[in-house]
Amino acid sequence: MERMKPAFRQPQAAEDRQAAVSVRGVSMVYDGVHAVRDASFDLAQGKFLTILGPSGSGKTTLLRLIAGFLEPTSGEIFINGRAVSAVPPHRRSIGMVFQKLALFPHMTAAQNVAFPLKMRRRDARTIPERVERYLELVRLGGLGGRRVHELSGGQQQRVAIARALVFEPDLLLLDEPLAALDRKLREEMQLEFRRIQRQLGVTTINVTHDQREALVVSDEVIVMEAGMIEQNASPLDTYRAPATSFVANFLGVTNRLSGVVTSLDGDRIGLLAGDHLMVGAAAGPGGSLQIGARASAAIRAEQIRISPDLFALSGLETVLSGTVSDVIFEGDRVVYEILTVLPETGPLRVFDHDVGSRRQYRAGDAVHLGWNARDLFVYKADPEPAATKPDRGD
Amino acid sequence: MTGSLGKSVVLWSVVACGLVILSAPTLVVLGASFTAGNIIAFPPEGLSLKWYSRIAGAGDLWNAFQRSLYVAFVCTLAAIPVGTLAGIALAKYAVRPERTIQVYLLLPFTIPLIGSGIGLMLLFGDLRLLGQLWPVGIACCVINLPFMIWAVMASASALDPELELAAASCGAPPLSTFLHVTLPAVVPGVISGSLLMFILALNEFLVSLLLVDARIVTLPVHIYNSIRSIITPDLAAISVVFIACAAAAVLLLDRLVGLEIFLKSK
Repeated sequence: MERMKPAFRQPQAAEDRQAAVSVRGVSMVYDGVHAVRDASFDLAQGKFLTILGPSGSGKTTLLRLIAGFLEPTSGEIFINGRAVSAVPPHRRSIGMVFQKLALFPHMTAAQNVAFPLKMRRRDARTIPERVERYLELVRLGGLGGRRVHELSGGQQQRVAIARALVFEPDLLLLDEPLAALDRKLREEMQLEFRRIQRQLGVTTINVTHDQREALVVSDEVIVMEAGMIEQNASPLDTYRAPATSFVANFLGVTNRLSGVVTSLDGDRIGLLAGDHLMVGAAAGPGGSLQIGARASAAIRAEQIRISPDLFALSGLETVLSGTVSDVIFEGDRVVYEILTVLPETGPLRVFDHDVGSRRQYRAGDAVHLGWNARDLFVYKADPEPAATKPDRGD
Repeated sequence: MTGSLGKSVVLWSVVACGLVILSAPTLVVLGASFTAGNIIAFPPEGLSLKWYSRIAGAGDLWNAFQRSLYVAFVCTLAAIPVGTLAGIALAKYAVRPERTIQVYLLLPFTIPLIGSGIGLMLLFGDLRLLGQLWPVGIACCVINLPFMIWAVMASASALDPELELAAASCGAPPLSTFLHVTLPAVVPGVISGSLLMFILALNEFLVSLLLVDARIVTLPVHIYNSIRSIITPDLAAISVVFIACAAAAVLLLDRLVGLEIFLKSK
């Protein structure tokens, strides 16, 4: 198995430090709509980037611009330092796995994998051996003779991956190929993508609306919304320090609050919601908050402490009381919905991961909530009504 | 109580009626062809294969049949490239005046065949092509081409556009993508369209009548000429041969691509 492994890509030499992909001020306008607006980012060799966003955020358009299926209205894309706007897709060295996989139905698995090699006029004598090597890489050794429709959904995914990688492309693009799979298979394939990507060291850009996938597989995450890049950071930083209130609300299960800024003390922000004073931390671009201005705030369900006893929360900077309105048992955690006195705020969602805990609250119980100032992200107030939040992260 | 029973009795009677009406001409001809008598009649007088042996030995009939086959081949060979490319283009690309082209494609049906026949006769006359057989095939192709185009369009519009993008990302230039991905996907439509074109050209009467002369009559024209003199049971036998050809084509189609696509092709 070890000797059959496809050649590792050597870690790039010092003089080869240029970005594998460099997107510079790219915009795409179709029918007067800005699908992508002034997007710029660099991706280093061998990294796994996920572009995360809700549908209609422009993430797929950005991927198709990189693949060459669309031409940017303005801006330029560089792959390994070469401007590619004038290069048609079949001359770019890019492997792609499509949402609906797009395997050629009239060919066998092996013929699908051999197709890019034939089209790239590789030496015909080496093709069968290489096809078999890549089928083994995706754990389909021996199944090359099967027709596409004779393979299961997961096996078809693997054929699509092998077809995208067999010609050793400079770049691998994944256009939500896992979206149609059931959850268990999807999570298995996420790890599989990660394993193969690490093994080959191929620079990869993945597009998804699944926040869990983005956090699990990526070295870097770009969050997009309405054609704009909201944040470009590591998965940990994206989750821990969301740059905008959109990112804060898109990732994780987040409670949305709002209030008026009453004090600014470095990063510590005093926020008055109704007649209740909360303490939070400034997030996002600094200097945008002003005393007396409205601000929006976000806190993750897992950062709120819940207790029947006010004194148990005495170390926390913000404390408020509420009433349990609903209890949702999700297996590995219990979600409480708590009605509070805060105005313009729905019930706060609070996680309790200690499912075996002797403390179980019931609807109607009076409880106290509290959190640390650093866990309440405070942003300049959203100009528009709150963006709709996707399904609760699973 | 008896409502559903009554309903199914009515439904089945309607279906049976329809089947009888649709198949009656075929059954009558089939029966008449096996007659032992000397005049065409249904029900037949006795049973014999003598009219089949008569047509098998009739050299002029065989020649006419071979000419019809030739016409059908010419028609099909001309229709395959034209119809395939046109069908793919109409299904895949936003062809500018698409509606206009669709209406134009319907013209052969809306214009009476006698009209197109006379038009083609004048045209071929000017081009000095009358008196040859291959222009009859071309004429059949022209008037029946919409069937071919629709059969291909049905296949081509079922083609996932991502397949062609996938081929491009595999490094296939546009022509290779067309040959390796687009064309194989429309093959079922091409097969069903071709068989249809073949049968239609084999049976085509009116346009052939206007375009052929006495030396090169096709089989339907030959039959027509015979009817004008005397109606004998050998005509029924010939008709049965025709029906057998059509049935063979349908069976072949079902074998090759399944009938669903044929039935779906509008």
